Amino acid sequence: MTLPSSSDLALLRRWIAARVKLLLRNPRSSFFTFAFPLLFLVLFNGLNGDTRVAAIGPAGGKVAFAQFYTPSIGIFGLTMACYTSVIVGISTARDMGLLKRVRGTPLPMGIYIGSWLTGAVLSGLAAVLLMFVVAVPVFGVDVYASTLPAAIVTLVLGAASLAALGLAVATLARTADQALPIAQFTFLPLSFISGVFYPLDGAPQWLVTVANIFPLKHIVDAFDACFVPGTPNGGWSWGDLAVIAIWGIAGLRVASRRFRWEPGAGDPGALRAAIARA
Amino acid sequence: MTQGRSRGNVPTMITNSLEAAVAERRHRPADGPAIEVRGLRKAYGSTQALDGVDLTVRRGELLAVLGPNGAGKTTLVEILEGHRSASDGEVTVLGFDPADRERAFRERIGIVTQEEGLDPLLTVRESVELYSAAYPDPRDAGEVLALVGLADRPDVRTAALSGGQRRRLELALAIAGNPELIFLDEPTTGFDPAARRHSWELIAGLRELGTTILLTTHYLDEAQHLADRVVVVAGGRVIAEGTPESLGAGDAPEALISFRDPGTALPLPQDAEVERRDGRIAFRTSAPTRDLAPLVAWAAERDAELDGLTVTRPSLEDVYLELTKESA
Repeated sequence: MTLPSSSDLALLRRWIAARVKLLLRNPRSSFFTFAFPLLFLVLFNGLNGDTRVAAIGPAGGKVAFAQFYTPSIGIFGLTMACYTSVIVGISTARDMGLLKRVRGTPLPMGIYIGSWLTGAVLSGLAAVLLMFVVAVPVFGVDVYASTLPAAIVTLVLGAASLAALGLAVATLARTADQALPIAQFTFLPLSFISGVFYPLDGAPQWLVTVANIFPLKHIVDAFDACFVPGTPNGGWSWGDLAVIAIWGIAGLRVASRRFRWEPGAGDPGALRAAIARA
Repeated sequence: MTQGRSRGNVPTMITNSLEAAVAERRHRPADGPAIEVRGLRKAYGSTQALDGVDLTVRRGELLAVLGPNGAGKTTLVEILEGHRSASDGEVTVLGFDPADRERAFRERIGIVTQEEGLDPLLTVRESVELYSAAYPDPRDAGEVLALVGLADRPDVRTAALSGGQRRRLELALAIAGNPELIFLDEPTTGFDPAARRHSWELIAGLRELGTTILLTTHYLDEAQHLADRVVVVAGGRVIAEGTPESLGAGDAPEALISFRDPGTALPLPQDAEVERRDGRIAFRTSAPTRDLAPLVAWAAERDAELDGLTVTRPSLEDVYLELTKESA
């Protein structure tokens, strides 16, 4: 694998710009990425205005519901943008013959797929930012300068890991029809046991143990802790970040080994070969 | 894949060095054939899709691969494009082994696949610009759209195009990178006659520009109209090859001479099998001029007319139907 040339970086930028433009043109993906999580945010924060819940992370104590729920549902938006939309987007592109088209041009598949993942990460970050832009003035959510770097790094790493896992799932699904149910069945149950919709203080230990295997709870915990007053160490949850990174790397490995450029059975390993050659 | 693919005229003095590798790249023959295929086989499980195909396409030539559905045309083309690997045989395209799918190879080819591949939310112009950005020397998008007849629809999203317009955009994407070699896999299937004519003009125009074109089709008139040479594929093999005219005439080019029987003794050729039926005389000959000469002289001497005289060659369609019937 050689270092990307400046013209390849220009190509990548061009494709990322196109990907963002396409995302904004697609009403379905804009809805699920931006409107849908925002709706949850407003609804649940409004309904639970006076409730106080157990704080996530080492600081302990109790926080206002919105202080817990805003970062949590932010991760819901992040997952929709980075995980679900990558699964649906890439498997649909494959069904539509777009991966085959790219494969027959000089555009390296790594750049094409990279533009998908980057576009997903950018839209996920934008969705979370939008939620905070609403929640800070409307629901009085506090953001702390001391934990902001940790919050941003957690969010970016989480987004990248989710996008990589989305790519892996898109690779394993044979068609787009298969991909959407797989995305929902893997994400939704996990979101309920990972503290996305409500705190896990009352949950049985075995359920928490199961949730801890998967990356979603670690993303939620690490991000939430940054919004609890008095969280030590600048909010860095190194253990959680390590689990998130390991899942992301595993996702990339599966995707590069099993990548297929056409629906059904394709040539496995083509992406790996393409990346090595590019 | 077998060993010993030809990679061009590498000087034998330089061996086993980086220099050799560089020299090999530089010496990819620009004057060698565009496509060279020897003993190509491809099996999908127990199905033998290609069963020993030999094929040569010269630079600047338009070769039509003709064959019924399931003949192996698409498998052949997809191996040449680098989309599939061969089970056995030697394949060289523009001096490259397409199975390596080198970027330099992909920069030199353009592909219209049989099935579609368009981004529904991109506009026509955006599609051409985006997909041609990776080529080192792309054609101007406006020029490309003018060539395929989409100059008046640059800002329409591809989802809103008609079927024929989508196919033309596919063609636009294939030529946008200014390739040396274009693969057209059944490019006019499903076209109305006017759209087909238009595409034919475009394809003929590309050929005039010196682009090598490999076209698959199951339309005989398309092959006859466009191709310098035709290869007929059936059952995974090349069963006939030649120019549309020579192929129409078959291996032993035979013409059918026929006229109304004047009812008298005639100087008919000795070796021909003469058929007399329905008041007509007919025979096949590989030398129609030679065999007609005595008859014409005979008629001229008597100031007579050979009524209803016809000299016909079997059409490509006759030969094609005959050939594919045999192999089926």
